[in-house]
Amino acid sequence: MSGDYVLEGPAVPESLDLVHDLLEQVGREHPDLEPGDLTMFETAVIEVAGNVVEHGRPPGHVSWTFRLSVLPDRLEGELSDSGEEYGGGTWGTTMPSDLLQEDGRGLALATAVLDSLEYERAATANHWTMLRHRS
Amino acid sequence: MTETRTAVLQPTGRLNMVAAPAFKNLVEETVASGQTRIVVDLGQVSFIDSSGLGALISGLKATRQAGGDLRLADVPEQVMTVLKLTNLDRVLRVHPTVVDASREW
Repeated sequence: MSGDYVLEGPAVPESLDLVHDLLEQVGREHPDLEPGDLTMFETAVIEVAGNVVEHGRPPGHVSWTFRLSVLPDRLEGELSDSGEEYGGGTWGTTMPSDLLQEDGRGLALATAVLDSLEYERAATANHWTMLRHRS
Repeated sequence: MTETRTAVLQPTGRLNMVAAPAFKNLVEETVASGQTRIVVDLGQVSFIDSSGLGALISGLKATRQAGGDLRLADVPEQVMTVLKLTNLDRVLRVHPTVVDASREW
């Protein structure tokens, strides 16, 4: 995808605030977007990005490029990271059954607020593609 | 005695992977100081992610293990939506205001 917005940088916790800032910029520049759509899309993007920060290998040496497109019927995002192939296995779709478990909800939450979340390993990068239809 | 056991914590901004560890430590320190009934005023939180949820769960467990509890107050829409999607609204009690949350422990 081309992307109306592009953000590049290291996959570290501090970069998450730059992703937030970008999503806020999208909201300011697209006042026609339903705030709920953008907020839930932001929720998903932050979870996927956080997953890369937490599990990207080698730690501290992964960089990413995030692209976002605002289309008439949907929001599309792609996060590409330079880390090793993601080894999460059957990731993603179910919440932990133990409600008192402190982690393990990230990609499940992203899945819950998106219409589509896809992972692909291509060449030397991981690609996470996120789609949410607009209300 | 009741009042000294109660603390109100007010995180602000984004309760995400960056801020969650410090908030988790703050709750642990609060419990260690003897204030085991904690109200988390979320009125100034603009966004929460799964790391922030983890910090709230950690706090809930810490307070309960010490004989207290952790309650949420003034929960913004994004936070409420995320609590429901993760089913955590079943274990984290939500109250409209800090005053409501501070009653009848």
